[in-house]
Amino acid sequence: MSREKLEHLGLQLPLFPTTSVGSFPKPDYLARARADFAKGKIAADQLRDLERKATTFWIETQEKLGVDVLVDGEMYRGDMVAYFAERLPGFTEGGLVRAYGNRYYHKPIITGDVSWPGPVTVDSWQFAQGLTKKPVKGMLTGAYTIMDWSFNEHYPDRRSTAMALAAVIRKEVEALIAAGCKIIQIDEPALSVRPEELPIALEAMEHTTKDLNAYFITHACYGEFEHIYPGMLDLAVDNFDLEMSNSDLDLLEIFRRHPFTKDISFGVVDVHSHKMEGREAVRRRVESALTILPKEKVWIDPDCGLKTRTVDEAIEKLRLCVEVAKSFRV
Amino acid sequence: MSSSHDPMLPGLHLANTGSYPRIGDSLELQILRRATASLDRGERNTADLLDAENEMVRRAIADQLKAGLEVITDGQIRWYDPISHLAAKLANVKIAGLQRYFDTNFYFRQPVISGTPKRSEPLVAKDFSFARNALGHLPTPKNLAGKLSIKPVLTGPYTLAKFSLSAHTGNGAVDPFSSLEERTIAYADALAAEIVELAQIGASVIQIDEPAIIKYPEDWKIFEKAVTKLIAARDKSAAEGSRPELALYVYFHDPAPLYEKLVTVPVDIIGLDFTYNPKLIDLVASAGSPKPLGLGLVDGRNTKLEDIGEVARQIDRLLPKIQGGRAYLNSSCGLEYLPRDRAFAKLELLAKIRAAVVA
Repeated sequence: MSREKLEHLGLQLPLFPTTSVGSFPKPDYLARARADFAKGKIAADQLRDLERKATTFWIETQEKLGVDVLVDGEMYRGDMVAYFAERLPGFTEGGLVRAYGNRYYHKPIITGDVSWPGPVTVDSWQFAQGLTKKPVKGMLTGAYTIMDWSFNEHYPDRRSTAMALAAVIRKEVEALIAAGCKIIQIDEPALSVRPEELPIALEAMEHTTKDLNAYFITHACYGEFEHIYPGMLDLAVDNFDLEMSNSDLDLLEIFRRHPFTKDISFGVVDVHSHKMEGREAVRRRVESALTILPKEKVWIDPDCGLKTRTVDEAIEKLRLCVEVAKSFRV
Repeated sequence: MSSSHDPMLPGLHLANTGSYPRIGDSLELQILRRATASLDRGERNTADLLDAENEMVRRAIADQLKAGLEVITDGQIRWYDPISHLAAKLANVKIAGLQRYFDTNFYFRQPVISGTPKRSEPLVAKDFSFARNALGHLPTPKNLAGKLSIKPVLTGPYTLAKFSLSAHTGNGAVDPFSSLEERTIAYADALAAEIVELAQIGASVIQIDEPAIIKYPEDWKIFEKAVTKLIAARDKSAAEGSRPELALYVYFHDPAPLYEKLVTVPVDIIGLDFTYNPKLIDLVASAGSPKPLGLGLVDGRNTKLEDIGEVARQIDRLLPKIQGGRAYLNSSCGLEYLPRDRAFAKLELLAKIRAAVVA
């Protein structure tokens, strides 16, 4: 079904299409430039030029490696929720809160009606797509996750917050489609954290993608999916991008009990480790997947975004994904 | 309301549930982040880090005192997270990768047990002594002289065990720590020794956090067995002349289904998170409580400030139903999930709510 959808969209992808989850590490010059921009030492135009230089590097790198469905690497983003919150009316930047260890972020606060200010990601996507003939994914964060990762001082409850955000994200989806984007990833890493709220997440995604002509992927991670499976299969997307290797492929056992009905972007390399897995170990992960999942439905990618790895590590982990995927096509 | 501010006597007392933000937006409130980063880069040493931790503990205590709290914590400023901070200090436990902590967007490092987790050093006792000393050096409002207490916090054995793994030996030998019950009991033994030491050095109340039990109520028997060991440690201390009260706190889930069981656990205080179920107030008001309660009516996870009159009316309903008329007004969970300015605003809110309580 999803293969047909891809073909209908004019996308001819090989078996085991390769992609990546979204983020790549920022080159040192860009990390320094972002710090300088935050201190007011450089102008927005200068930062943007360097973001585009880094985006160009990553698009060229993915092309050279032979990745099939590209990402822009999110050179312009810090946090996946704060990036949108900083641009959407209705949000106020909150103070710092800790994520883990010595990592902190500005957690947004919803203080008024959220609304769509016009295209947020379209310009970045168009720039990246203009560098390659291969499809580049549009990259968004889902309404449920934005709601869950923000404070709410405005809406009466979590459902109404998520639905208000869904209306905003839908407009961004429409803008990406109007610009020519055919594959759109709407990340929902918070999907499984409150199993009792799965209906809210489903309703919000339904409202975000319903009747829109694109191939939709969602990425979720760090989850207790056993609590929301198989109900999560009702999420209105075509493809679930899941971290499989970090959980020792535990999810396959769940899929064995109840068939996985969507396409899957099957995470085959651990992004949290500097260690490079061996090619045979990664091949075995794919072989395990194929004991349960039809090959036509399997995409290959790393577990999660690669932004916490070094540039060299990220390239090698991507290379491994591509080599393993190609070895299964013969 | 007018009542004694002595937190052991009847009345509504103001308490901190545990953590407090270790960072703020101003540079002077970012010393700990900078010290940690410098240490990671090898530019500073552990003494520098300790200085920064000490300073942020003093500031956390000062904020609580300024807001008018009587039961004060050290803000758990030194804790990497609620799980690995304790587990990493035990022999035969290694710390592995990050996992999400309940339904928060906060992550903890997961302990992996390779043998009986053994306590060979204090877990929080030194931190308790430091905090008590720090409190003693701050000017105390006259009406609170001698009535303030530092409350050490321990993550409970069941929650520690639930989020720990057993190391696979790989040699075919039976691995006792693959059993949740074995892990829980082993942690309980280690924590019991800590309770004895805390009692010896003067802790009058010790908070035991067990958020996992209300999420996984099917493990009640294991939880209950472990708590028995903590109660035995308290009673052993009592026999030696220093009986601390044990306060069992649960949060991050709806405690209503377990409420009747929770209040029968032979601890001294039960702390409840009221933010997950608006009907919990009706339940407690109807069933009453045979022991003092920690009333988590102020949301520790959202910046919005509660309506003072509404919360005060809720307390007016609850307080007469609590045997002995003793309760603690606190946030639903530790305040580290909020930005520092909002966390302080929540502390101040506690005092405003108490002033509006009629009962």
